[in-house]
Amino acid sequence: MHPSLRVFSSRAHQPLIRFLGKRTYPSTPSAPHAHPAAPAELKNHFADFVKKFEASGKSSSLSTLSTGALSEFWEAPERLWKQDIAEAEIEAILTGGASLH
Amino acid sequence: MLSVQRIAQKVGRRLRQASLQTANWKRGLATASEPYDVVVIGGGQWAHSPGGYVAAIKAAQLGLRVSMSLLWLGSQTKPCSQTACVEKRGSLGGTCLNVGCIPSKAMLNNSHIYHQTQHDLKRRGIDVTGVSLNLENMLAAKDNAVSGLTKGIEFLFKQNKVDYIKGAASFVSPTKITVDLLDGGKSEVETKNFVIATGSEVTPFPGGSIQIDEQQIVSSTGALALQKVPEKLVVIGGGIIGLEMGSVWSRLGSEVTVVEFLGGIGGAGIDEEVAKQFQRLLTKQGLKFKLNTKVLSAEKQDGKVHLKAESAKGGKEETLEANVVLVAIGRRPYVEGLNLAAAGVELDNRGRIIIDDQFNTSTKNIKCIGDVTFGPMLAHKAEEEGIAAVEYIKSGHGHVNYNAIPSVVYTHPEVAWVGKTEQELKAEGVQFNVGKFNFSANSRAKTNLDSEGFVKIIAEKETDKVLGVHIIGGSLAVKRMEISDLGLPLGPNAGEMIGEGVLAIEYGASAEDIARTSHAHPTLSEAFKEAAMAAYSKAIHM
Repeated sequence: MHPSLRVFSSRAHQPLIRFLGKRTYPSTPSAPHAHPAAPAELKNHFADFVKKFEASGKSSSLSTLSTGALSEFWEAPERLWKQDIAEAEIEAILTGGASLH
Repeated sequence: MLSVQRIAQKVGRRLRQASLQTANWKRGLATASEPYDVVVIGGGQWAHSPGGYVAAIKAAQLGLRVSMSLLWLGSQTKPCSQTACVEKRGSLGGTCLNVGCIPSKAMLNNSHIYHQTQHDLKRRGIDVTGVSLNLENMLAAKDNAVSGLTKGIEFLFKQNKVDYIKGAASFVSPTKITVDLLDGGKSEVETKNFVIATGSEVTPFPGGSIQIDEQQIVSSTGALALQKVPEKLVVIGGGIIGLEMGSVWSRLGSEVTVVEFLGGIGGAGIDEEVAKQFQRLLTKQGLKFKLNTKVLSAEKQDGKVHLKAESAKGGKEETLEANVVLVAIGRRPYVEGLNLAAAGVELDNRGRIIIDDQFNTSTKNIKCIGDVTFGPMLAHKAEEEGIAAVEYIKSGHGHVNYNAIPSVVYTHPEVAWVGKTEQELKAEGVQFNVGKFNFSANSRAKTNLDSEGFVKIIAEKETDKVLGVHIIGGSLAVKRMEISDLGLPLGPNAGEMIGEGVLAIEYGASAEDIARTSHAHPTLSEAFKEAAMAAYSKAIHM
């Protein structure tokens, strides 16, 4: 190779920029961490926050399904939900069935 | 309820018999309405930022599932879409759209044109006579801009099937709120997930010694609606809001004095070198500054306001006289009436809702974004969080890069920055290179007769990775001190140009990456490229 080309080659710019393209995420949710803008005191005691969070409310859908206990109907599979009622049926209910005749 | 069920079952059988339904007929149980997937609290007047309505629209776009009920049960709100947005004042878009960023930009732009017409056109070869201010029309133009954009959001809600509930929300439990409807009455709304986006409100003056009346002593809200140009305006606070509003009324004819407790203007995160030049340019435009000064009290007398102030370090007291005083010392989180205790949501000692990096509050299924929680109180920061929060709900993953959130002061010159300042990097012990390019060496800025300011790019010494970008660009470089000679033409638009810096930081670009990217000639953006060249090697035109 010509010496000048070798020199040029060795100095070729290597872009630092990372073209991320379409984002893909793992199937499992990521673990929460302290908020980057939170005060240092809260960051240092993030474990306490997690404890309160875990103890709060009801279990999430995923965890409740795994234990088999459901506290809200929407945590159940959709096939077990109530189905929509048609306009004709509502009308029938409201009119005591008169709309059917 | 049971009687309704019995009737429904009976009627259902008859319906089947009458073949009114097809083979896929299914009977429903008359249970309570299924909840929304997501209910966003705050998308309106009291929310500082538009994060709430953006979260609502994004949630709907992600197709977050909703079960539908066709029975109206008691006072329960009947969901008819995936997402609902509850807001208090019947006007979407938050403080930003209603009484913040948007109306202030209307006033900044129009006052700029007025001032330019009066003071700058002559030297450009344009003679104009009879220029006068019609403040009533200028305020009406601002209101029209706001009203058009607000209605635009309502249209987007309809388009994306987001229910819009006008009322004040209050938690009953972690999954239920009551809403005092603006139209009267109450409604209960149940959901699987809440996003709190109630924003912020003006911070009152400490100690209560200055009471805002929105007439003589105003907040930013009142400063956008003054019915006449005050002869003397004193601005308490040299941050972004104070400087923007001070600029507006200075251009319209007020004598403006900015009183700032700290030793510099521009607020948190501004580069010291930029702040100094910024103050110099605003001083040339006629604004007066009293730095390191503490305001003690205000007294209204004979149609004027007398402000007592002293040196921040203590010293001789002085009195400032003003027709109008603008209190612009910051904003604080707004959670009034939310009854967060009923939901178990905790606040920190500054009244902010405590969250983790996934926007979870201390209660499951309640997320929080925007001004009411951690981070800078910026509309675009809240929007990013709103999108990320509902993405976490949908998929368990989201993305906000807090190091790539830009800040812009929409004065003239505009000031913009993103990433780290020199001072922050020195404090962190990071070694860096600085590339700086003045607009005075940029051909387009010269032709625009608007060549004051510079672009500064800070790159890590070892890797050349861009760590910070700071831009100030705008007014004249001429050394004329009389305001009548100080033109304010349209100039380097730092607020638009900073977008390139944000992309560079978001994608981890090096200064050389930017420098090796072609920028059109002649444009102001060439100054950005040249600053990048200066950071890793040398600029061409300096």
